[in-house]
Amino acid sequence: MTMSTRFDDTFTGMNAVRISRVINVLALFALLGVLAGSLHLQFGIGEQPCPLCLVQRSGMIGLAVGPVMNLMWGIRASHYALSILAAVVGSAGSIRQILLHIEPGDPGYGPAILGLHLYTWALVTFVIAIVGCAVMLLWDEPFHVKDQGIRHAKSWFRVVALTAIFWVFANLIIIGVSVIPECGLGMCPDDPQNIDGLGDINGWLAVLSVGVLALAFALAVVVNQRMADLPERADAEA
Amino acid sequence: MLSMFVLWFVVFIGVFMRKGWVIPLTLVTLVWTLLLLRLHMTDPIPLNF
Repeated sequence: MTMSTRFDDTFTGMNAVRISRVINVLALFALLGVLAGSLHLQFGIGEQPCPLCLVQRSGMIGLAVGPVMNLMWGIRASHYALSILAAVVGSAGSIRQILLHIEPGDPGYGPAILGLHLYTWALVTFVIAIVGCAVMLLWDEPFHVKDQGIRHAKSWFRVVALTAIFWVFANLIIIGVSVIPECGLGMCPDDPQNIDGLGDINGWLAVLSVGVLALAFALAVVVNQRMADLPERADAEA
Repeated sequence: MLSMFVLWFVVFIGVFMRKGWVIPLTLVTLVWTLLLLRLHMTDPIPLNF
């Protein structure tokens, strides 16, 4: 077997799909890290999100839709396109907020983390997402296979992927519900009042975060079992 | 602003149920997010483009 044959075997067909799935799951976990940081600032420190912050969070959730669809429905170019569009919308919010505080001497909005404010980190995330999606679109191979999603993937991988998906979904619910006491059903105040934080990340906030993860994992195990009970298809993976 | 996240919630439910309207609704949600962003752009930023 030549070197090029081995390369072809590794990066073509279902292998290409499997690699793409792993990258999509990793992207979801990276996004969860960003969302966890913003939720820690909101609930742990008590820094309430401004309207522009909520627009950026909406962009972050939109970013997740592409990988979630890739995993649930199969790898498609249109799913990456949705993530790119979400990143553009989210970065519009980030750029707007950066420009509001761009003058020298302006302290910016909220605390800085590693020298950059959250809205700057959000822009970095959106740009990385656009570049990442573009790179994935450059790789044609996964689109040649009529992938049907993780439904027929290996059981352990399905649990990991479903955990990431349900964890993002849980974050969406937490973010959505937390908007109600801050803004009600209408528009949010431009400069919301901060609240008392719940405390240290090592406190019960961490317990709550682990609880949400445990819930997502439990749901993933149940859904995985239901998927495993589905009748086998002729083109199912080994 | 709650409406943005309600729309995302419906999008996710649509993904789980493999509904055909997911992609159009995602696009509507993104346009709605942009509209809300525009409504909150109340302070002028003096830039010389």
